[in-house]
Amino acid sequence: MAQMNMVQAINDALRVEMRRDPRVVILGEDVGKVGGVFRVTQGLIEEFGEDRVIDTPLSEGGIIGAAAGMALYGLVPVPEIQFSDFIFPAFDQIVSEVAKFRYRSGGEYPCKMVIRTPVGGGIRGGHYHSQSPEAYFIHTPGLKVVCPSNPTDAKGLLLASIRDPDPILFFEPKRIYRAARSDVPEGDYTVPLSVAKVVRPGTHVTIIAWGAMLYEAIEAANQAAGQGIDSEVIDLRTLWPVDLDTIIESVKKTGRVVIVHEAPKTCGFGGELVALINEKAFLHLEAPPVRVTGWDTPFPYTLEMDYLPLAARILPAIVETAKY
Amino acid sequence: MSRYEFKLPDIGEGVTEGEIVEWNVSVGDLVQEDQPLLEVMTDKATVTITSPKKGKIVERIGDKGQIVKVHATLVVYDLGEGAGGRGGAATGTATATATGTATGTATATGTATATEKREQGPAATAVGDIKESLPGMGAYVPTAGAVASPPRSAVVEYQAPGGKALATPATRKLARDLGVNLARVRPSGDGGRVTKDDVRGFVAQSQHGTAGGGASAEFRGDSRAPGDGSVARGGTGATREKVSIPSAGEGREERVPFRGLRRRIAEKMQTSKNTAAHFTFVEECDCTALKALRERLKPKTEAAGVKLSYLPFIAKAVVAALKKHPIVNSALDEAKDELVYRKVYNLGIAVATEAGLIVPVVKDAGNRSLVSIAREIERLSTAARAGKLALEDLQGGTFTITSLGAQGGLFATPIINFPEVAILGVHQMKQKPVVRNGQIVIGDVMLLSLSFDHRIVDGHVGAAFAYDVIALLEDPDVLLLDL
Repeated sequence: MAQMNMVQAINDALRVEMRRDPRVVILGEDVGKVGGVFRVTQGLIEEFGEDRVIDTPLSEGGIIGAAAGMALYGLVPVPEIQFSDFIFPAFDQIVSEVAKFRYRSGGEYPCKMVIRTPVGGGIRGGHYHSQSPEAYFIHTPGLKVVCPSNPTDAKGLLLASIRDPDPILFFEPKRIYRAARSDVPEGDYTVPLSVAKVVRPGTHVTIIAWGAMLYEAIEAANQAAGQGIDSEVIDLRTLWPVDLDTIIESVKKTGRVVIVHEAPKTCGFGGELVALINEKAFLHLEAPPVRVTGWDTPFPYTLEMDYLPLAARILPAIVETAKY
Repeated sequence: MSRYEFKLPDIGEGVTEGEIVEWNVSVGDLVQEDQPLLEVMTDKATVTITSPKKGKIVERIGDKGQIVKVHATLVVYDLGEGAGGRGGAATGTATATATGTATGTATATGTATATEKREQGPAATAVGDIKESLPGMGAYVPTAGAVASPPRSAVVEYQAPGGKALATPATRKLARDLGVNLARVRPSGDGGRVTKDDVRGFVAQSQHGTAGGGASAEFRGDSRAPGDGSVARGGTGATREKVSIPSAGEGREERVPFRGLRRRIAEKMQTSKNTAAHFTFVEECDCTALKALRERLKPKTEAAGVKLSYLPFIAKAVVAALKKHPIVNSALDEAKDELVYRKVYNLGIAVATEAGLIVPVVKDAGNRSLVSIAREIERLSTAARAGKLALEDLQGGTFTITSLGAQGGLFATPIINFPEVAILGVHQMKQKPVVRNGQIVIGDVMLLSLSFDHRIVDGHVGAAFAYDVIALLEDPDVLLLDL
């Protein structure tokens, strides 16, 4: 088993699946000769050729539209949107077409694809390279949304996603592309979708996070432990369909919840989680569920570290919730 | 026809139901205002319910022996054209007397005038048309009974501002499970929030705070709460699973409902034993001088129509000792974490009746003469045995004396009349050999068994109190100094 970072693990997953399944095709901006701006697809064009690793024009709508056509004809496209901030030109294709084909065709034409796209801030990328648009897609019926937090999960979740019958948004937290390292099994394995992971068991407060913010949540939980607060941290891994059982089981135990995400608070996924918790565990709540999120502003370049819900902002929320 | 439904009034003191003892009216009867309708035995008293209005009885709900809930319809009237009580407000009156006998000795107030009723000391008043709530009152509806009964010093009912308690869902769930009305729980949390501990403390307090035969006034339970209100009935069932006795079979056992006085006694004893840290102190007392003093005074009081037992002397000695050891006359206000030193000396006198133990209270024994105490004890015990005590006769005790009588045994371990902190058990005086001035002589010896709540009263304090009582009884002339 080799230590890998996220980039290497995702590259490995693509290579494994392209070797296993000849229908798998990669397309996107600079994914071929350059190997992707983050080098995730490096070396794939050499092994699988230009027909399976396709450099496209700068047209996200075109990338997803072409991928939809491929999918309808039986291929398994894995398009890359260079930054998830750029996904909006493809929004119509994803929401209006990709998400609905299976429904429109009565199940005859599933439009399965995995749209890989780097997400989130913390890389001094400014407002066009830092956003977290997951809520738009969670809101859209017909799509699944995945966001791994470590190389091991990233490879297993990507392989599971490519084999899943539904179109999937696969958000790769770019802040931890190289910072997160873990042992990644060689060859083929999957991490099941819609199964969250309790990464730190605890009894006082439930902290829900995913992607790059998971590490901030763990850091805050460790600091809170110094004040006698025993936090349970859950890594959602798949945002939708969310593993509600794991969340509710934890909330019933703790009665207290802190939800962390980078996206703006208003109508962010945290709001939906709070609603679900209220529906399923209302009588167990000891405190109002708290969201620690990005602010309701465009993602700021200069105030990036103030915008992100880092440990310094999560800790007081944990303490207040625990003492409520 | 103008139809009017008369419901069982809330006679206060936490009474939630009563057993119909006797109907005084039948369907078709024309009744006058204030005419007795029926007698209802609650777990505290037998109450004569009188008619709030003049009218014809068209329906009578419930048979003799049946349990009726407060606010359940008892009688339906046809008031006729333009008939009715005085004005719009119904003014039915219920006169309550505590009864000692299970058969339910009804009061003789049915035909008495209103003035006579007052003189006989009506302990609870009820009105006929009780609204469930009134505008501006929130969840709190003061009941007629609560108004009529004397306020209990230690217990102040809390009411959340606006009738709405602040609490998290989990706390609300706990309160619902325990049958607690959150609006009555004094909050200790941030921002005035009721915490789970507050709820648990409230339940504990409600179970403990039932002094002198008074049901817990602040624990009426939430009318919206599910369940049978078993928690409201004191210690039973709240903290442990209820015991079930399997049937022994037809003819091999008899089952009678566990209610009324017996249940009240059970709850109070359980609360006391589960809460107070009892320790018992036993010592003997040479009563030779006391016996002589009583023999001297007896003819004089009997001439005044009062029988003079030893109890008034003991009461006087206890009051003198209580003044010296105020902690023994105290009570713990658990809700406020305050020790309440009572400056009145209300002595409960345990009286055995056919139905069970009753503890009427000699009020203000500190300011009463020997004769006055003797007269009051006589009145109370006669009334207790006849089931004619008023509720207020049972309330407000600060210390209890239990006379163990001819079959009192060598010594006993009396259970404190919670939330009092001490109780004195008096055993029968017997002639025994005693050593006096190096000689064995025949002395009149009495044993005293005192139990104290060790949470409040330390061993040496209890002992000092006991020896002071004994010293006064052994040398009763000293009591004169306190006159």
